[in-house]
Amino acid sequence: MTAETVLFYVFAAVAVVASMLVIAQRNPIHSVLLLIASFGALSGLYVLLEAPFVAVIQIIVYAGAIMVLFLFVVMLLNAPHEETGHDLAVHPLLRPGPLRVGGVLAAALVVELVWALTAHGGESGAFPSGAVSSVAAIGRSLFRDYSFQFEVTSVLILVAMVGAVVLASRGPTGRAR
Amino acid sequence: MTPLLIAQIGLTLFVFVMLLNSAAIMVYVERKVAARLQQRLGPTLAGPRGMLQPLADIVKLMFKEELRPAASDWLLFSLAPIISATCAFAAFAVVPFGGSTTLFGLVPDGLPLQVADVNVAVLVIFAIASMGVYGIVLAGWSSNSKYSLLGALRSSAQMISYELSYGMALASVLVIANSLSLTDVVNRQAGAWLGVIPRWYVFLQPIGFLIFMTAGIAETNRAPFDFPEAEQELVAGYHTEYSSMRFAMFFMAEYINMVTVSAVAADLYLGGWHGPLLPESLGWVWFLIKIAAILFFYVWMRWTLPRYRYDQLMAFGWKVLLPLSVVNLIATSAAVLYFGL
Amino acid sequence: MPALNHYLVLSAILFSIGTAGVFLRRNLITILLSIEIMLNAVNLSFVAFGRALGSADGQIIVFFVMTVAAAEAAVGLAIVISLFRHHESLNPDQFTALKW
Repeated sequence: MTAETVLFYVFAAVAVVASMLVIAQRNPIHSVLLLIASFGALSGLYVLLEAPFVAVIQIIVYAGAIMVLFLFVVMLLNAPHEETGHDLAVHPLLRPGPLRVGGVLAAALVVELVWALTAHGGESGAFPSGAVSSVAAIGRSLFRDYSFQFEVTSVLILVAMVGAVVLASRGPTGRAR
Repeated sequence: MTPLLIAQIGLTLFVFVMLLNSAAIMVYVERKVAARLQQRLGPTLAGPRGMLQPLADIVKLMFKEELRPAASDWLLFSLAPIISATCAFAAFAVVPFGGSTTLFGLVPDGLPLQVADVNVAVLVIFAIASMGVYGIVLAGWSSNSKYSLLGALRSSAQMISYELSYGMALASVLVIANSLSLTDVVNRQAGAWLGVIPRWYVFLQPIGFLIFMTAGIAETNRAPFDFPEAEQELVAGYHTEYSSMRFAMFFMAEYINMVTVSAVAADLYLGGWHGPLLPESLGWVWFLIKIAAILFFYVWMRWTLPRYRYDQLMAFGWKVLLPLSVVNLIATSAAVLYFGL
Repeated sequence: MPALNHYLVLSAILFSIGTAGVFLRRNLITILLSIEIMLNAVNLSFVAFGRALGSADGQIIVFFVMTVAAAEAAVGLAIVISLFRHHESLNPDQFTALKW
């Protein structure tokens, strides 16, 4: 076991356990925090994959910006806990029809994933040496080969910004739309 | 165990202890400078000229009772100060504070005076700074008190808003330096123009430096941007409900964050450990002088300027500082392209 | 040395957890968080594939995915806030105003 292997398993375990707890939590604040822990572990995995830029961006954008937004909203809505019990019987996914369809879909997903991962007999070996990890190379590729897509994302961000403001703002009368 | 490894572990411990010390020293300096600015004497009783005052404060805080509001979220309430303090310490790990040294010949290969040399150092500092928000937000929310929550909401909004200008100011320097590594940035500032003016980026980026300092003050929640803890409005903001050592950790984190921002400013704009007169091996003296100057500026600002109103702060951040920093970045990039700096 | 397969299996596990979250939970915020888990699982495969192919493209796609995730979070949370104002609930089963 090299140090890298140990680190991989540690980060992988943290990511998986934290993600499972995210969906097992009743308290949204705890969910958000556990997801941040999971992102931290993923960021460690990116470092192992020799992508330090992605690792840092993961922390800055996901943990530092998007999750703060989530935390903000949870705090703003005063963290309503999920209603449990009273409508458990009518949970739409627990009706027999959806349950069967969902079961088939879940089975299909698992079969597909297992098939995709074992199709090559698990022969994929170690990574080749010489990863592209310099920020300069990524930037060059981003602004040359992907410049059009990059510009399009700016439009996407603008649309999202306008949409968020319009949706969340109260009307001129001060009432929610 | 090679000598280099031992030296590196020693260096890490040294930085940790010195950061703890710097917080204590800053407590003393803050009180002394504040007193002088207000024509008072400040602490005088503990030790010569009151120099043992921080020690007395620490002892007092340690023996205080650890209070916890009954309706608080126990886990997060304990976690919040730890997050704050950890982020404060972690950010300094990638800040270089001197050229490499051989420790009087003990380490022949040379030991860089930096805990970890990362090639995306600037981004790492930025990332850790953005994680620091969580300590404050969680403290505010888990206390289950209205003052704490208001302080936390204010501070997270403030930190997110000023982070953008902070990042833009950083980016302008990086465009000139053409590197994301702080060591490279510092080394590009060695030497002098015309033999007199040091090649510090503050002369190439005067507006960037002002933006960086303003955003830095806002990021560390210092006056005149100290809304998270505005005493007159929010009692003490996010740490209203904290006492004893948990409170001390927030207090310490604030001062260590100040030291880190000053160190980054010294590295990015003031040439780090490069300066006239002193030989290269004594560069850390220059570094300390620069940090001390910036920290004094911080304290001076706090006791000179009154606090802004909250909407003024937000308007200033979004309508003045951010456009200015974007224009600065564009102008810098254009100049670099045109003159091929 | 962990190889490509290790990362892909991990990515598959994370994606399944995210999917399960979307299906099983009845809190809009948790559902949005589960979508983030799924996006991150995909990001991990992209970076791992990019590393295996020795190209920067994997990391660049992650960049775009993050942009989309940010946009999605902003709009999604805005919708959550305005829904909460109307219904005082985060349970998607409550929002049945169009169904009668």
